[in-house]
Amino acid sequence: MIKKFKKSAALLVAGLITCGLIAGCGGGGGDKKADSGKAKVLTFGCQMYSDGLIDPSLQTNTAWNCSRFGVGQTLFRFDDNVKAVPQLAESATPSDGNKTWTFKLKKGIKFSNGTEMTATKVKEYLDWIREEGKKGSTNPTKFLDAGAVVTADDAAGTITIKSEKAYADMPASLADPAMVILDVKGSTNMKTAPVGTGPYMVKSFKDQVGYEMVANPHYWNGKPPYDEVKILFMGDASAKANALRAGQIDLAENIMNVADLKAMQDDKKFKVEITAGTRCGFSWMNMKEGRPLANKTLRQAIHKAIDYKAICKSNTIGNLYSPGPSVIPSSLGQGFDKLKNPDEYNPEEAKKMLDAAGIKDTDGDGIRELNGQNIQLRYISYANRLLNDFSDAHTQYLKAIGIGVKSEYGSSDDQWTKLVAGDYDLNNNNWNTMIAGSNTSYMGNWWSKNKDNYCGFKSDAYDAAYEELQTTMDPKRYTELMTKLQQILIDEAAVLVDGYYNSCIIYNAEKVGYAHIYPIDYYWITDEIKPAGAK
Amino acid sequence: MDAATRKKFLSNRGFVLFSVLAIIIILIAVFAPVLSGGIDPTAGDLRDAIMQPDGTHLCGTDKMGRDIYSRVLYGARISLVSTFILVALVFVIGTALGVVSGYFGGWVDAVIMRIADMMIAFPGLVLAIAVAGMLGASMRNAIIAIALVTWPKYARMARSLVLKIRHTDFVYAAIVTGSSTWRMLWKYMLPNTITTLVITAATDIGGMMMELSALSFLGFGAQPPTPEWGAMLNEGRDFMQSAPWMMIYPGFAIFITVVVFNMLGDNLRDILDPREE
Repeated sequence: MIKKFKKSAALLVAGLITCGLIAGCGGGGGDKKADSGKAKVLTFGCQMYSDGLIDPSLQTNTAWNCSRFGVGQTLFRFDDNVKAVPQLAESATPSDGNKTWTFKLKKGIKFSNGTEMTATKVKEYLDWIREEGKKGSTNPTKFLDAGAVVTADDAAGTITIKSEKAYADMPASLADPAMVILDVKGSTNMKTAPVGTGPYMVKSFKDQVGYEMVANPHYWNGKPPYDEVKILFMGDASAKANALRAGQIDLAENIMNVADLKAMQDDKKFKVEITAGTRCGFSWMNMKEGRPLANKTLRQAIHKAIDYKAICKSNTIGNLYSPGPSVIPSSLGQGFDKLKNPDEYNPEEAKKMLDAAGIKDTDGDGIRELNGQNIQLRYISYANRLLNDFSDAHTQYLKAIGIGVKSEYGSSDDQWTKLVAGDYDLNNNNWNTMIAGSNTSYMGNWWSKNKDNYCGFKSDAYDAAYEELQTTMDPKRYTELMTKLQQILIDEAAVLVDGYYNSCIIYNAEKVGYAHIYPIDYYWITDEIKPAGAK
Repeated sequence: MDAATRKKFLSNRGFVLFSVLAIIIILIAVFAPVLSGGIDPTAGDLRDAIMQPDGTHLCGTDKMGRDIYSRVLYGARISLVSTFILVALVFVIGTALGVVSGYFGGWVDAVIMRIADMMIAFPGLVLAIAVAGMLGASMRNAIIAIALVTWPKYARMARSLVLKIRHTDFVYAAIVTGSSTWRMLWKYMLPNTITTLVITAATDIGGMMMELSALSFLGFGAQPPTPEWGAMLNEGRDFMQSAPWMMIYPGFAIFITVVVFNMLGDNLRDILDPREE
């Protein structure tokens, strides 16, 4: 009897605990205090890059964070057509064959600490970032060369930049996030709380968690729409989607789960904005001496073995990527229509090519051998923008023609470290192809004289065309050269392209009235994001 | 096994039932290639990705277009084999160290037990995650990681059982009559610990299977495209609402298998160690 009672009591307690847990998990409800009070709070969920740091001199990602989180702004910024338009500057005038540029600054702009953004302050930053950036990987001299001399005229509110090299579009160069104008002397904690001119400033930072931001009281473009912005780092796409559904966040960038995205598009509570971006997902192929992919036949067979169109159209990728064989998105033009892909999907031909080249499976284990060793390609990838799904899909296709792949999925930092160290065979990432308003810098990744050529690709024809691309000012010739460069990469089977990424932003329409995603994703938190009901 | 013992085992209906179920699970693992109709669990077609269950794919497909039915069947192989290896590993290592520790005592005992104390000072799974993280993600490393944090349980148990008899008259008598150390350990110490440890190992199978699946779920165990239940759960997590079949079937497989082996262990304990009843 007692035993029975004990059992019943235990069951009852277990039931109550379960109910409590379920009740605790449910609800969401968000920040009720903030909802009911006067403070307007935006909670934003996003991927964490480079530990969330926002010092532009450290890494490319930290510079992007600074711009994306609404802390730093550039003299010019990119609009929906990826054209540089004035932001902190009101105009830019070239002279001396585009070697000298004079920027007229907007009046009345202050940093978030109340200090006026004078021409001297702008010069201080441009000099500081080029010097400090040497230590990190931001590489700011890509956007403003080290020898360029910046002269400030506070009275006229202008800065003049004289360079040895001509810039076709220096405003676009200075629109890169590395060139956000910060108060160098006024920033005591550049890593997580630099002082910028953006609509929001950092109140506190929690490592691996996110930021608490408050409205910049000195913001130059009117009162920021929100009093507070909470930025929460969320690693995976489903976490962002679930947090949105539960009301824990109001806005999220790039939910990459197609099913979640479709469900949210069908739900009136949420608004989803997708835009054809400037990004390309691609896997580097390590062609350095001694590596399996130094073998061109093997690379070509890999391309023929993978049905990149079917991958992009699958339920898994769901058109969040557009297919294409080139490293430049089709939406950007640059001769895409003229490109010819000799390695379209044809697995039978891939097998024949490998057999003819003596890359055969002689020991019957299902894996072909190259130079007497089983081909086991090390595939580095990370969980962002569906990259792991692409890598899995590639692995599956490659297995079908007898090429072994060992997947190594880690963080974005792992991926980057292995890329720079050349410690990979295939290394999947998603890059912005428009840097400083053009594709020039990005195409330099395959230029043999570039230290950022991480894959060991070398082609004299490519080098010659690229060197001309760097100097040409003629748009028609630029497109011709771009077409040539892309075709060389395709012919050499030098890059395994995932597809062209379409960025998205998703928000709870009951809480957020307006948000926008730009093709070039330097801007997430902006003064354009407004609460629901705000004018 | 004498007739009385056999009767004891066969008269326990729970033991018989769960033994049959366990054998069925093992047979499913063995005959996975036949039961799956020859479908390769690692091969898929992206054009068939995330398809709900139908006549072609009984349990639907995953995000790589792979057949989930086939993956669940083959998953039994990975889960069972890796769990049995893990249990055998901790059983052998833990028992050996525990028996040696208890029998010799002194500094041998101190060294082994302090190492064991160190290992159990951390929460098991957390330490296993740390070890698996350091060693790199693979099923082999997941087994090593869990073995490293589990052996102390067996060592401590074996040691305490040895200590119970270490200073009894029959042990001293055996030593006096010239039994070698090896014989003492093998003939007198080990048999006194083995029943309890076998029961512990049997009841641990389910738990260890869960731990291995947990590591795979977290990405520290089996790597894609290996059909492992924990890893499959992780793959299906993003699609929990839109394609629940991706989680339901591997989840159900883990549930059934763990329940069967837990119940089998419990019933074995009831038979071999009636004091626990």
